[in-house]
Amino acid sequence: MPRSSASLTALLTAAAALLPAAPSPAAESDESNTRASYRFSEYDENALNGPVIGDPQRYRVLSQQLDVDTKLDGGAWGLKLDATHEVMSGSSPWFVEPDAKGRPVQVLSGATIRDHRSALSVALTQGPGTSANTTYTASYSAERDYRATAVGVEHSQPLDAATTLGYGGSFSHDLLRPTDAAIYGRIERATKNTASAFASLAWVLDRDSVLQAGVQLNLERGFLSDPYKLFAYGDQVLPEQRPGRRTEAAGLLRYRHSFARLDAALHLDYRYAQDSWGLTSHTLEASWYQSLGNGWRLVPSLRWYGQSQARFYAPFLIAPEGQRYYSGDYRLGTFGAFSTSINVRKAIGRWEFSLGAEHYHSAKGLALGGGGAAVPALVDFTRAWAGLDYGFD
Amino acid sequence: MEGCESTEELCSNSLYPCPSVLLRVRLLSERKMPLFRYAFSSMGSPCEIQIEADDESIARAAALKAQAEVARLDEKYSHYRDDNWLARLCASAGSGQAVELDEEAANLIDFAAALHAQSDGRFDITAGALTKLWDLQSGRVPTRADIDTARAHVGWHRVTWRRPFLSLPVTGMRIDLGGVVKEYAADRAAEICRNHGAQHGIVDLGGDLAVIGAHADGSAWLAGIKSPRNPQRVHASVELAHGGLATSGDYERVMIVDGKRYSHIVDPTSGYPVESFASVSVLADSCLVAGAASTLAMLFGVERGGRYLRELGLPYLTIDADGRAGGSRAI
Repeated sequence: MPRSSASLTALLTAAAALLPAAPSPAAESDESNTRASYRFSEYDENALNGPVIGDPQRYRVLSQQLDVDTKLDGGAWGLKLDATHEVMSGSSPWFVEPDAKGRPVQVLSGATIRDHRSALSVALTQGPGTSANTTYTASYSAERDYRATAVGVEHSQPLDAATTLGYGGSFSHDLLRPTDAAIYGRIERATKNTASAFASLAWVLDRDSVLQAGVQLNLERGFLSDPYKLFAYGDQVLPEQRPGRRTEAAGLLRYRHSFARLDAALHLDYRYAQDSWGLTSHTLEASWYQSLGNGWRLVPSLRWYGQSQARFYAPFLIAPEGQRYYSGDYRLGTFGAFSTSINVRKAIGRWEFSLGAEHYHSAKGLALGGGGAAVPALVDFTRAWAGLDYGFD
Repeated sequence: MEGCESTEELCSNSLYPCPSVLLRVRLLSERKMPLFRYAFSSMGSPCEIQIEADDESIARAAALKAQAEVARLDEKYSHYRDDNWLARLCASAGSGQAVELDEEAANLIDFAAALHAQSDGRFDITAGALTKLWDLQSGRVPTRADIDTARAHVGWHRVTWRRPFLSLPVTGMRIDLGGVVKEYAADRAAEICRNHGAQHGIVDLGGDLAVIGAHADGSAWLAGIKSPRNPQRVHASVELAHGGLATSGDYERVMIVDGKRYSHIVDPTSGYPVESFASVSVLADSCLVAGAASTLAMLFGVERGGRYLRELGLPYLTIDADGRAGGSRAI
């Protein structure tokens, strides 16, 4: 409430007879101060086709997520808690061997992996729903062989009211303790630190559209290899070796346009990233948010992703020349991916139900420009999810 | 580590730490409840009522009732009509006869009288003759004689107002409540929507806004304030969780004669246009108070108007003739 100066009191007194008995703003903001949501999803990788050694059945992840979003101190602070539990099983690509003709044969981890991951994250926002707000985040994630702890802060600040500046940073410390390290000659204990900084500007272009442009810098230091991946290095099969540093710079554009007459909105996102390993990537995503009346909402999305390989990527090296770094991890090769998804939501009173599915297909041919070495273990997957939300008093 | 699906997943996940600045601008997609919009035209302006509701029939019923109320006020207080009490009042001007006003009209006249006092005579509902003289389409500056003739028909202090009886002293004198009725109508429309079950929505009567209630998820409505010199452009966006927002300004209504700029804001005490802001927007618990504050600030001119706004303590935004923005921290 503004302080009541003499002129304001005079104005309010003069207007008093004409003003309705307005509901107090506090009473309104008390409505649905807390929302809770639960989501269950299943992620299934397709079996590998092509020449493989081992069980071609790949990863399956079942995850459950519980979110609680509430306001504290009369709405001055927003608190968001997120708890996730995942169960993973299946086999994963181990390394690639050349066959007699030098063609790649994917070797998969023999034993079925079974693990679960639990994660908790907290976000505290000062001044939620206002133009200038600050969010502090902290998260912790644990699985048998991996622990990750992260903290972050971000701030948004209007510059000239039609323009908003956002910036922030985060830091994460990860600890790896690979299983069966002694048996397989894996590293027993390793750490990895990641620092990120980002800045963005958002412009309200007109009543219906907003454009945001941002830059981001990520610095990774420490053990950046995958301790479970091996590499066919001449006659030997060795643990893969990646550099101990990685710097990534990214730029992104986001455009939002609402179509009032259609009761719909278009979201367009583009991201470009380049890192010190020689990997460049483009991500392009388009989503259409359509309200259908009676609380129904439909969101179809399309996403394309393309990357060029890291300098030290190769499926294997038949005649190595003393390379210091080498990895056959398909995630570092040249490939592109196309994913389509659909999400349906229905609100009934305080409840909201959602159902969705995504199909993801990756292939070398979908990369921009193509080229690069063979990537035999590219993944295709489907993901399906269901969730419900509830708004409390 | 084994759980990572692909590099792509890692890369795209790193998008999420980015600030949620975009989410603040509420697009249709992010609402939890469907939005229904009812556009109509009244009081010489494009109007719209937006209501978020689970049930379209509730939203429509509330919006229709509110629209009927706006139409009623337009009919009752329009000085363009020849069949309302204002027409009767003007017809009787100079005859010594008084017109009896009903409760609502008397309240509006009381309010206008208080604004006249609080603005040292600058806010004047009898100033119509002067405003008409400074007809900005004509491209010429009126002569001193013209101004004096018009001023003979102007002056609230000369009006006899003994509630509920009002009489105008001079033939040709007119009353124009346009400076308060639109804002009053916005508040009334919002109240009627609330009384008819609409909890989340906003009323827009030609840029005068009154909140029915915040968005269903409790967040504020976002209003764009257009740039006075370039109305295609949004100069600023303001968050409104309750109350009203009103803007006064001389949008596109500036006359330049011999290099001198004349706004359409006429000070009836001098008879000449005021050198003032290009626009003033004020946020208050009601659109009526917001409108009065922004109009008075305009009439006071840049310097005194700025002081007045600071003294009021309401959130405000001013844009001066050169397009520079000023205002309270809250906007």
